[in-house]
Amino acid sequence: MSEICQRKSKYYDIDDILVEEEYVPVLFHKTANGVTIDPSAETNCAEQGSKVEVPFWLAHELQLRQAVSINLPACFDQKTRLQVQADAAYVDLRSRCPYFYEFGCKLEPLVTDRTLGILLSTAFKIRYKEALTKVYTAAHITASKYLSFLTKEETNLYEAAHLSSTAFKKWKTGGRRLERASILGRKRKDSN
Amino acid sequence: MYGRKGYQLLKDFASGEKGQLKPFNSKLFDETIEECDQNHHLMQSLMRKMQQEDLDVQNSRNADHYGALIHHLSLMRNKRCLMAYVYNRAEIVRDLAWRVGLELLDLPSEIQEKLTSLEKEYFKNHSVTLKSYMGKVGIELNVDMVPPKDPYIKVRILDDIDEGIVLSDKTTNFARHSMHFLKRTDAEPYIARGQMEELTD
Repeated sequence: MSEICQRKSKYYDIDDILVEEEYVPVLFHKTANGVTIDPSAETNCAEQGSKVEVPFWLAHELQLRQAVSINLPACFDQKTRLQVQADAAYVDLRSRCPYFYEFGCKLEPLVTDRTLGILLSTAFKIRYKEALTKVYTAAHITASKYLSFLTKEETNLYEAAHLSSTAFKKWKTGGRRLERASILGRKRKDSN
Repeated sequence: MYGRKGYQLLKDFASGEKGQLKPFNSKLFDETIEECDQNHHLMQSLMRKMQQEDLDVQNSRNADHYGALIHHLSLMRNKRCLMAYVYNRAEIVRDLAWRVGLELLDLPSEIQEKLTSLEKEYFKNHSVTLKSYMGKVGIELNVDMVPPKDPYIKVRILDDIDEGIVLSDKTTNFARHSMHFLKRTDAEPYIARGQMEELTD
């Protein structure tokens, strides 16, 4: 019952929808007629036994109905794992997958690989600590190269930490309390 | 074609600044609906094929069934994208009423341009509901969004404000760059709209 509530509350969540668009390799156990999802197929169908890359949302639903089986996508391959082992904090995870953790969490119960969970939690613990340290020690500008390595989830955490640290400093030193509504965006430059 | 347009629509939404609106993307919105129609059409033709072969459409699991299933799932995916697009925009519209002002005309024109006429209607109805609720409980809920410290604050006027604004204790003309000592509750909505700024020294 609670799973249904959880699914409902994520229905409108933009990040959840974007994560599920990431592609996964699947193996078709049944043939599907009249669809063009397999670009290498000669006819308008996906043949039983063919390997195709499809978006996660489709792969998940088809696996539930035993029409396909899901394999681990390239972003979680051996190369990434070795890099994480070597120096997790500075691996460019965003180029592997901007939703590395969310995507991994969704895949974890569906694939046979039992080490995915450990990879995600290890990488996250090390990188989270590094991100928080950076908020308090590095100026926002010099950290920009580092920030380009962070996944969406990590970027949100970094920005939240940065906001809270700024708010704290402002509270300590005193400052304007009433502000232009942030929802209006940045101020336009004065026209005269 | 399989949920792709809906995804592009949401990517467009997400590419704006967080919590801010971009103009309503009617082009992608309509293209997503068109994609849904294509999926629906292809799904129906596969199901008709099954019927013509005297198969039980509900329970048979042949290649046509799986094809129709994929089209159905793609349609549902696009539907989810369309719903999420409208829902998240509506959330921002409600936020505007709380943070900027309850009157549509109080919103800066560049924001008004980004709303569709339906969204403007929604904004007006939401404001009416809020005002009626606040009237019933007898409290203005959209003031003091930051805990108040002083009843009066110093402000500088940033924009040309119309003449003769009536404040709770006086009527003044506000010239640009002039500074005034105002009641915080009077100044708050103007600051929220960016027409005044608080001075702290």
